[in-house]
Parts: sequence; C-alpha cells; structure tokens
Amino acid sequence: MKSTLGKLYAILRRDLLTAIRHRTGFAVTAVGLLMELAAFYYLSRAIGPGFRPDGVEYFPFLLVGTGVYTFFVMSTQAFLTAVQEAQQTGTMEVLMTTSTPPAQLVVLSSVSAFAGNLVSLVAYLLLGAAIFRAPIHANLFSCFAVLILCIAIAMAVGIAAATIQITFQKGSALLWLLSSGVWFLSGAMFPIESLPRPLMLVAHTIPLSYAVRGMRLALLQGQSVLSMAPTLAALFGFSAILLPLALWGLSFSLRRARQNGTLSFY
Amino acid sequence: MDRVVFESVRKVFRHRPALFNWLGRERSGETVALKNLSFAAGAGEVLILLGPNGSGKTTALKLVSTTLLPDAGSVHVSAFDTQREGGRVRQQVGIAIATERSFFPRLSARENLEFFAALDDVPRRECGSRVDEVLHDTGLAEQANTLVMKFSSGMYQRLGIARALVKRPNVLLLDEPTRSLDAATTAHFWTTIRSLADRHTTILLATHNFAEASAVGDRILLLQGGELLAERTIQRGQSVEDLRAFYFRMTGEVDEAAAMIERAGRVS
Repeated sequence: MKSTLGKLYAILRRDLLTAIRHRTGFAVTAVGLLMELAAFYYLSRAIGPGFRPDGVEYFPFLLVGTGVYTFFVMSTQAFLTAVQEAQQTGTMEVLMTTSTPPAQLVVLSSVSAFAGNLVSLVAYLLLGAAIFRAPIHANLFSCFAVLILCIAIAMAVGIAAATIQITFQKGSALLWLLSSGVWFLSGAMFPIESLPRPLMLVAHTIPLSYAVRGMRLALLQGQSVLSMAPTLAALFGFSAILLPLALWGLSFSLRRARQNGTLSFY
Repeated sequence: MDRVVFESVRKVFRHRPALFNWLGRERSGETVALKNLSFAAGAGEVLILLGPNGSGKTTALKLVSTTLLPDAGSVHVSAFDTQREGGRVRQQVGIAIATERSFFPRLSARENLEFFAALDDVPRRECGSRVDEVLHDTGLAEQANTLVMKFSSGMYQRLGIARALVKRPNVLLLDEPTRSLDAATTAHFWTTIRSLADRHTTILLATHNFAEASAVGDRILLLQGGELLAERTIQRGQSVEDLRAFYFRMTGEVDEAAAMIERAGRVS
C-alpha cells in the first residue's frame, strides 16, 4: 500500500511538473471552456424556452450532458495518450521493465488525468451555473455515486483503447467511434427518446447514456440514490463486467507484444 | 549459482505486411534473431556480447529484461523464469540501451531519476542519496536540475546508465553504453562497471568496442546470425589487438581497418 502511494505520488508529481511547464495549457483550457458554455447558452436561447427535455430547461440539460460526455471522452483518451506518448518517446519499453506491474502502472498513470478532467468538469458546471444562471439542485451523494461508476467505466473503455493501441497500433479508432458515433446516442445533446426505436435500443446498450442520465437526475433534479437505483444498477453492471475484461485484455495484449517484439511499435 | 541462464533459446520476429500491401513493397517473412542459444553468467561476472550487427546481442538483452519473451527455450534470472515470473525478474534487472531518449523531456535529470526510482520500489528515504550517487557516477551532478530536453546525446546516454544503476540491480544490462560518451567519462564508467562487478552485480554488456571488452570484461560470447560462435575468457591486461584478431578470425569478416593501418604505416 505504502509503495503504491509512493508510485502514485511520483506519477502525479511528474504530470503536474510537465503540465505547469507547458505554461499556455491552463489558459487555453479556461478560454475553451468559456467559449463552449457561451455557444451552448446561445444555442438554447435560439431554440427557445418551449423545449424542455426531461422536464428541465435546455441549457442545464446541455450543460450536464456535454460536461459528462467531455469528462468521459477526455478521461478515456488519457489512457491512449499515455500509451502513445510512451511509445513515441521510447519510455514504453523502459516503463515495462520497472518493478511496477503494467496494469497498476496504467491505472496509476490515469489518476492525474482523471483529477484534471474532474477539475475541468466542476469548473464547467460552476461557470455554467454562475455566469449563465443554470439552475442546479444537486444531491451531492448521488452525484458522487454516478461519478465513481462513470470513472470505472471510462477506465475500462480507456484501457480497451490502450489495449487496441498496443495490439494494432490503432487505439484512436475506438476513440473516433466514441467521439463521432456514440456522442449522439449518449443523450448528451438531446433526449435519446427522440431517436428512432432501433437507435434508441442501441443507445440503451451504451454505458455513457446511463452516466449522462444519472448525472442529470442527481444534479438537476436532486434525486436520491434510492430513487435512481435502476440507473445506478445499470452503471454498476457495466463497470463490473467491463473493467475486469479490459484489465484482462491489457495483460493479454502486453504479453503478446512482448512475444512479438512490438511493445514500442506505433 | 548462475544468475542469468539461457537454455536453447530461440527468438523469431515475424513480419506481416499491412493491408493493401500492393501499394507498397513491404515483404512478409520472418527473421530468426536467436537460434538455440545457451549460456550462463554468474554473480559478479561481466559478460561481453560481441558480434556483427544483427547477430542477436540486443535481442538477448531484451529477453533478460522481459521486454521480449522467447519463442522456445527458457531464460532464467536469479532462478526466476522470464515467461512465468516476469514481475520477479524485473525486480532484479536494470537496463540501459544506446541512443536512448526515453525520458520525460520537461523533467530534470534528477526528477526523471526520482520518478523511475519510485516505480522500481527504491525506498523514499534512500532515493535522494541514491540519485545523487548515480548522478555523480555518470558525471551528471552539475546537470542534475537541467531539463533533459536540453541534453546532448551523450548526456542522454549517461542518464540512461544512471537510471539503470539507481535501482541497484542484481543484473545490469548495457547495450553499447559508451557509444556517445567522451574519453574521460568512458574511463570513469569502466571503473564503475568493475566496482559493480566486485559487489557481485552480474553485467551483460553488448558492444562493438574491443577496448571496452578488454577493459571491463571477464568473458566474451561471440554471436553471429543468432548463434553462439565462440566463447572466450578475457585475461586481465589482454591486448585489444588480441581480441580484435580473435573476432575477425572467428567471424570470417575482413578487417579493413587493420589493412588500412598497415598501408598507412608502409607509406610513412
């Protein structure tokens, strides 16, 4: 345990030092957040107050949907970026010869990305509420429960992307699918009930749609853990299946890469 | 007891062309990097891997480090099997590869070493002193707080050696460790290697440098085409010319440099 915390500290320190030495990064992110919020605010104004998906105003609906979606995709991407950077800078092989088990290394490496994305999500929601007056009625305990399960699923998908990168050097394909195909099925921009029935059925098989729905219930309607139990159960089910599967896949792909000599291929 | 043991190790790299290969000229096939290689290295031994390019030296080192796994045969490190007990093997081994830039560019030399030391389970209370020690041993003490993105290739190479040393491995793997180093640093590095061997560290060193082999080696394995061509013990004070003659005699390659030196001597 002490050793794991020491490793976590080393990784967080590395990521923080690297981030602060890229001086423009924070400013660009902050400006990007504000621009995005402004775009959604004026989009919802253009659509008008008559459109109330799930019984809430459109701007807060968009705020939570896009916030959770971005958090999910960025966190997933962190795994792929970590592997791609390690392959391109040549650190991959060296990291794989350290005493730290590869799965532990991958999971610990994602912590700072999750922390950074969480700070961005909170800032996004707070700015949306403070500057653009989005009404928030949060049940913090429910928010926390959704967030933890959302992190577990993002971890599983991220590890799957890293696995595809190690095996086929094409992990970005999964992220492309996420960002181009899945976003409109996730309910981030509009309720999935407005999709044609076949697509609606597909949307119900996507974990992200439950994460988006769960966070809206917790954050905009203040629902308790008990009242949103079906959504939380679905999220728990996805994470209980996907996370062990992804870890097994990663371990298998690393062994295969060691066998084929392709660990540092990209 | 032998620290590193290769038993009938075979390693093959297979090449499969990409889809739509008719657009390019990539060929399928396979390269046999090691054929039935067997050898052992004891505690405190400096084993030199010598051989032409493509003879399998780096592949052998990577098999010990577990970045590669054998297709047939077995590799054991301190009695741990690299196939089945990779985690235990990695606790024993440190590796430094030539021409490497495998560091985090926006961290200083010290920060990079502290990072890798943490991943290698170096206790935190010892970390500072160990990092200072290896920075001094590799002549990087003055550049300790410089971002490695500003390093020259020689400094990168020194840092690679420092990283391999900081975990105090039982088995140290060095692939052309002095290729980009200046003469003074090379000499200091050779002294470090001998003192590590005196402290029972097993060292496998792949090189093309006969002077290096003669200065630090206890034994030479001469590889060619993935096979063990010859094996020879190095006597202290053995001349570089001796090793050079042995190498060219065994590999059957032509020593053009010797002919040129002889010609130059006749002209002068």
